[in-house]
Amino acid sequence: MLASLKLLDLMENSSASIAKQWAKDVVKNPKTPYYHNSDQDKIIPQAVEFYQKLSRVYTDKDPFTAIQKFMGKFAEARFKEKVPLHEALYAIVLMRRHIWLYAEFQVIFITIVEQHQAMDSQTRTILMFDYIMYAFTEKYWELMNLEVARKNKK
Amino acid sequence: MQAYAAKLIDLIELKAENIARQWAADVMKHNRTPSYSSLPQDRVIERGVDFYMLFRKISLADVPFEAAKTFSWKYAEQCHRDKIPLHEAIYALILLRRHLWLYAEFQGVFVTALQMHQAVESLNRTITMYDYVAYQVIEKYQELINADVDKKLGSIKTLLMNKPIGGIKSIYKSGLMGILLLGACILTYYYHATLGTGVIFTHLFYIPIILASIWWGKKGIFVAIFLGVLILISHAVFLKAVPFVDDIIRALMFVVIGGVVGWLMDGIKKIEDLYKATI
Repeated sequence: MLASLKLLDLMENSSASIAKQWAKDVVKNPKTPYYHNSDQDKIIPQAVEFYQKLSRVYTDKDPFTAIQKFMGKFAEARFKEKVPLHEALYAIVLMRRHIWLYAEFQVIFITIVEQHQAMDSQTRTILMFDYIMYAFTEKYWELMNLEVARKNKK
Repeated sequence: MQAYAAKLIDLIELKAENIARQWAADVMKHNRTPSYSSLPQDRVIERGVDFYMLFRKISLADVPFEAAKTFSWKYAEQCHRDKIPLHEAIYALILLRRHLWLYAEFQGVFVTALQMHQAVESLNRTITMYDYVAYQVIEKYQELINADVDKKLGSIKTLLMNKPIGGIKSIYKSGLMGILLLGACILTYYYHATLGTGVIFTHLFYIPIILASIWWGKKGIFVAIFLGVLILISHAVFLKAVPFVDDIIRALMFVVIGGVVGWLMDGIKKIEDLYKATI
């Protein structure tokens, strides 16, 4: 767990820089066409907030509950913007990739011990993102069903 | 990259069924995938084996994203058919990936420093594959829900003429309606002016009335009003000796039927739009 702290610091202190790189990618990635016409200044704060909230729950004993809470809000916001679910989810995948790209670019894991830390950080990050994917899809699914039920009543 | 991942791929292919069995035991009692508990175990295992066999295909493919579709689309179709909610289908995929690693760790595949390095590479590869599969499963699953809605509304959509030959739907509808109304005018003239009778030919008028309401909803009522006014004026001009009551009732029924069908069709269109917008 402690080995993950290095990545955690990076995520917390460089959230704006990582978010900028993510935004550059997501607006031209072929798997996220919804974002292609998005204003980068509008989507960068989404990613900054995401990285900051993620870094806060990274070392929690029960990160799932906290993730469910903040991803619930994140899903509501994307649902309101009418982002297709698979694209919203791929945008999150890109957020995860950009943490690693930034970490590699900053050469934060050099020595053998640090390589072990890298492995540990990677495992932890994947676990966090597994929870994120599940919580996000669950909330989105719930919102889609609610919307159908609400409009059916009208 | 391929050399690094080869060890893991060999293990997966050799032990696909064992890993799938462990996954099936987990997914069928996991609290985040309750829908799997009622599925036959053999069917669940088969899905696991399909996923693990995908690794070799992807490692050999020129475009791994395209190769992943062979599994993803089938998996999405199976989950949709078994009525497994999307978030559970995604979590089951997560468990598939985890079990692969649990098995590799348990078998002590990556022990030395070099093997640890291979482990990182293999892990990256596994995750990339999972990313593709998750993306494709969600996309396909939503496509299937859309197709489901289309299928359920199939007969109504045919009547709505949403996809006529040539695709110029408004021209087809207006043209056909014009012909039907012209026919109604000729028929009215023939019966009232030539035969001098009010015999019940007006039942045929329900065809344009109902079609208009199906196509244009509440606005279709104007066709009913037009035909109602037509028989009343024609009656006043050509059938002065015949009592008016029957044709007044007929005209009123046109408007009532046109209005009710139009109102129902507006409701159906609203539901269809809603499904399209939310899925």
